[in-house]
Amino acid sequence: MNETILVVDDDPEIVGAIAITLEREGYRILRAYNGMEALDHALDPAVRLILIDVMMPKLDGLSALIRIREKRNLPIIVLSAKSEDTDKILGLSMGADDYITKPYNPQELAARVRSQLRRYTSLGDIHAEGRGRIIVNGRLAYDPDSLELRADGDVVKLTPTETRIVDLLIRNPGRVFPAEEIYRRVWNEEAFSCENTVMVHIRRIREKIELNPKEPDYIKVVWGIGYKMEQHG
Amino acid sequence: MDTKWNSTGKDPGGEQAYLAAAQGGADRVEEAEVFRPYTGRKGQIRAVLAFLAFFLGVCLVLGSLGAALGRWACQRDAGNLLAEDWQETAAFRREISDYLREFLELGAGEDLGWYSQWYETSEGTAIATDWDRTVTATAPAEETPLPAVSWDDPDVEYRDDSNVLYRITGNGYSYTFSNSGSQLIRSTLPEGYNFLLVFQDSKVSIWKDGEELDVYGDGVYDGDSDWFVPGYDNFPAGDNVSSVKVYIAVRETPVQYYNTSWGVQTSRMYRAYRSFQESREFWLTKAALLGAGVLCLALWFCLRRERQAADKKIAFWTVHVWTEVRFLTVAVPLCALLLLPMASMFDTLWYRQVRLYGLFSMEVLDYMGWSLAACLENTGALLCLWWAVWLIRNDHRYNPRESRKSLLRKLGRVLAGAIRVLRARDLKRPIQKRLSRQTILRPLALLLIILLATIWTTSFYYDGRFVLLAIIAELALFTLLHILWGRRDCALAHDIGLLADQVEAIRSGDLSTPLDLPADADLRQTAEALNDIQAGLNRALEERTRSERMKVELISNVSHDLKTPLTSVLSYAELLRQEPLEGAAADYARIIDEKAHRLAAMVQDVFEVSKAAAGQLPVHPERLDFAKLLRQTLADLDDPIRQSGLIFRVDLPETPVEIVADGKRLYRVFQNLIDNALQYALPGSRIYLTLKTGEGTATASLRNTSRDELPEGVDFTARFVRGDESRTDGGSGLGLSIAKSFTEACGGAFHVETVADLFTAVVAFPLTDK
Repeated sequence: MNETILVVDDDPEIVGAIAITLEREGYRILRAYNGMEALDHALDPAVRLILIDVMMPKLDGLSALIRIREKRNLPIIVLSAKSEDTDKILGLSMGADDYITKPYNPQELAARVRSQLRRYTSLGDIHAEGRGRIIVNGRLAYDPDSLELRADGDVVKLTPTETRIVDLLIRNPGRVFPAEEIYRRVWNEEAFSCENTVMVHIRRIREKIELNPKEPDYIKVVWGIGYKMEQHG
Repeated sequence: MDTKWNSTGKDPGGEQAYLAAAQGGADRVEEAEVFRPYTGRKGQIRAVLAFLAFFLGVCLVLGSLGAALGRWACQRDAGNLLAEDWQETAAFRREISDYLREFLELGAGEDLGWYSQWYETSEGTAIATDWDRTVTATAPAEETPLPAVSWDDPDVEYRDDSNVLYRITGNGYSYTFSNSGSQLIRSTLPEGYNFLLVFQDSKVSIWKDGEELDVYGDGVYDGDSDWFVPGYDNFPAGDNVSSVKVYIAVRETPVQYYNTSWGVQTSRMYRAYRSFQESREFWLTKAALLGAGVLCLALWFCLRRERQAADKKIAFWTVHVWTEVRFLTVAVPLCALLLLPMASMFDTLWYRQVRLYGLFSMEVLDYMGWSLAACLENTGALLCLWWAVWLIRNDHRYNPRESRKSLLRKLGRVLAGAIRVLRARDLKRPIQKRLSRQTILRPLALLLIILLATIWTTSFYYDGRFVLLAIIAELALFTLLHILWGRRDCALAHDIGLLADQVEAIRSGDLSTPLDLPADADLRQTAEALNDIQAGLNRALEERTRSERMKVELISNVSHDLKTPLTSVLSYAELLRQEPLEGAAADYARIIDEKAHRLAAMVQDVFEVSKAAAGQLPVHPERLDFAKLLRQTLADLDDPIRQSGLIFRVDLPETPVEIVADGKRLYRVFQNLIDNALQYALPGSRIYLTLKTGEGTATASLRNTSRDELPEGVDFTARFVRGDESRTDGGSGLGLSIAKSFTEACGGAFHVETVADLFTAVVAFPLTDK
């Protein structure tokens, strides 16, 4: 592995903590403590991923992000204490590949870093392999013929019921399915008090495919209506 | 004159040139002097002279012209102005013609009806037609020489008139009338007589001053013929006068004579002569006056520059005259000159002319024209009218419009001021007194009108016109009063409406537009009070909003500042837990990790509840199924529910319960409520979750029995309130607060009821219309 990751935060302790976590995962870490330093290090071709804080002296994270994006195409994860939806949308629209709010869960952080690197390195493979048959949605890639779901390139082991649910949702990204409809189409039975059954399965699928099952990125509940697969770029 | 004044007075360029000239050299000043009216005593005298000339000229010209036109309209005798010889006037010839007719009648002994009977012929020429009537003369039988004077003689009334001598021989000298001792022959006319008419053999011959006149002209009588005597081809003398001879001699200058036997008698000829003389004098006088007037006007024209000064002076005096007086000075002469004569003439015009010829006939127009001209004879009124108009025009020319004074306007202004003062005083009284006084005064006013009308009607009951007048006046007054009151009532109603609208607007949150009622409106004070309340509310609201915003900013900053060290704490606590620790140290690390996580959760909760409380929480309302949301929430929390060992009794309708809310936020509400129940419910007890619909509302309630005794009088939805104040573990104390503020942010209602140990949380949303 030994891929190099640039970690930028004005708080040295946070940089240190992240460095320890990621070094244990086997990555090499470059440290920067403001936006200007981040720009200097970002030009190092060894850097494969950047973790950057938003609120920093000299140059804030989002401005640095834009400047880096002009020069390099590599995964950038924004790390911020701002937890509002609008902040997340702003960060992602500026060109961030992911957005992690502080305080973060170190495992989740490591998982997201891994996911981004895997996608970044194996993206070409998926496309070469896929040729339109494969349904790609962010980290997920689904082959409708072999009924195989991959997350970050790794095959996800699903039960037949879970596979049918994933098949239904991933073929219709963005569409909201009421629990009754999911039940009827997956189980082929008339739906009655199916909410719990469907929810149990969905929770299990989440645990298998989501980086943080408590705050899912892909299979989401639309409260009072149903469930849907979020479309990712 | 006028143009010159205007060019110097009104043209600023001219004035500047004049000023420059005045400042320049003396020679330039003399140039400018040309355009200036004379000043000093000499100038004043000349000004007075100019005005007097103008005054006299106008008076003389207008007076003489008016009088002349008036006389001409009535008498048309202006020809006398040029006629020097009386015997050549139409009046004289008319007189002679009359005498001849009368003498012929004497000679014939009967009425000559044909003499003056006239008919229109198709040719338009007036001719006598009845001339061939057979007349039998009944003459006296015996021959009488010069008859003695007798009162019974047919010619007695002509006898004493020495102005006209006559000799009438009827029926071939069978009788003779005469007042002349001598034969009336051309050559031997008495002294002082120069005119002789002889009617013989049905023909008339006339000698004047010894020369014979051409009586018949071309022998055909028409309207232009001088002499109206028989003997024309179309107006021959009748058979009954064929043998009558008449001689008439007339004195050159008729004289007045007296008949002492029965008082004063004036000769007809003398009267006609006097009338001629008088007419001639009139026309000569008027001509002389007109000439004098023209001379005066010529003088005035020469002195026109000075007249300017005089006019200005007069305008300076007349500016103080009230408009009403001006109006009267025009109206009174106008009435005297035109309206009164016209009114008196109306009967004649209507009954005689219009009835006879029709309204728009030439005759009527002609008559009216002549009548109007005749009115001009009233020269006094004419002059008054002229000068009144002139003074007003003069005043308007030199005095600005603003300087005009009007008694009525002055009175109106005083009245309006008085009304304003009264109204202002009235407005100080309370509105209920003002309105209740109206309800008393109005019926009183109506009663008064009815009473007056009744008195009037009973006093004049005998005349229908008066009764009708009373009824009309009564109705008119009623209508007027009702219009006035109606307008006031309408204005009041309108203002009340505005006031009500304003109250409603304030209630619904419009604090920016004040209610502006007219200053004299009954509800003005109330409106102002309301505006003050509104302004106060607005101020309070602005202050609150500002402080809320500051609070939210503070919280946002604080939560960010808290999160940064918290991130380090959490990260290192996690790392610490991964280190191989001995004994108690591992426990400590675990506790630090747990508490750090709770702290992080609390910071997030504080942040959200503060934003919600400040109304800054973003919500995305959508139509959703309330029942399904509750089922999803239960399914989502299935694990903790199972682990809690509590029993859930869920009663949700199978049919969709559609409401509009933000699903994510509403999920948080029930997540918090269920968490709350799981945390504080008595172990092993039942928790009831129900959703009921009715009256347009969907009401979800969650009931649980508290593990601990619930304190009385505590608002559980307030921030950082918990059932047991002493508790140190468990929630942040914000769960219910978040639930309440999120519910309200989504447009629902949230409240908590406690009965003994029974804790009930109620969430209600309005149902959407299908």
